[in-house]
Amino acid sequence: MEFLNQNSLYIVLIITVICWFGIFGYLLSLDKKIKKLEEKINKE
Amino acid sequence: MVFKIILGIGLTLVIIAGIALPMVSNPSSFFELPVVPGLEDKARIIFFHVPTAWVCVIAFITSLIYGIQYLRTKEILYDIKSVTAAGLGFLFCILATVTGAIWSKFTWGAFWNWDPRQTSIFVLLLIYGAYFALRSSIEVEEKRASLSAVYSIIAGLTVPFFIFIIPRIVSSLHPDPIINPQGKIHMNPTMLVIFLSSLTGFTAVYYWMFNLRVRFSKLLYQQQMKEQE
Repeated sequence: MEFLNQNSLYIVLIITVICWFGIFGYLLSLDKKIKKLEEKINKE
Repeated sequence: MVFKIILGIGLTLVIIAGIALPMVSNPSSFFELPVVPGLEDKARIIFFHVPTAWVCVIAFITSLIYGIQYLRTKEILYDIKSVTAAGLGFLFCILATVTGAIWSKFTWGAFWNWDPRQTSIFVLLLIYGAYFALRSSIEVEEKRASLSAVYSIIAGLTVPFFIFIIPRIVSSLHPDPIINPQGKIHMNPTMLVIFLSSLTGFTAVYYWMFNLRVRFSKLLYQQQMKEQE
């Protein structure tokens, strides 16, 4: 508990960075998927 | 791809710098932030909350511009862009409200106390909530597009009033870093660099999301057209 109290700022930092990586990765994968879809539809 | 890598690394650096740089009373090096009297570590929200509100304004203005474009050309693509921008603006508006409410719990003592800022952003949420209600209530595509274009223009015109004007006419507890000089946050160069990079990063993320959503809606629309034929 004391560890949490003393390092709360860094815990917030780690959680925020993880959230950001999650959003970033999700956007990247969406980008790839949409690109594939576009290619597929344009070929038809 | 380069743009995305720069964005990914850039915003990670902004997050690390914004949260982890130490706050000291007399910053002597570039890697120290000044202490904001009365707020201390809670002032760090400025690097994340203000950009969300900023993106919210940009998105609503984009929605207005594409609304005008739609009325001029009657091209359905502009309607897609307008509704996408309004949707993202709504999302960022909610984010700004929530981050603001959490901050206010620890600074003002309650999540919600109808401060002019909170009231005005609440009204803004209601206005854009009505926009989506309006859209979902009309079946005919062209009618829906032109009505919601008109609505998005009217709604977009109210945005500057709710975000910039009303909270400054009525006395509010909300800190105004740039405009009000007295008793508010004074940004030193380090803070300013982080703040501006955060604004840029958030805007880039918004643009990316907007682009993805528009491309997807376009595909969906093309597919619908094919099925109808």
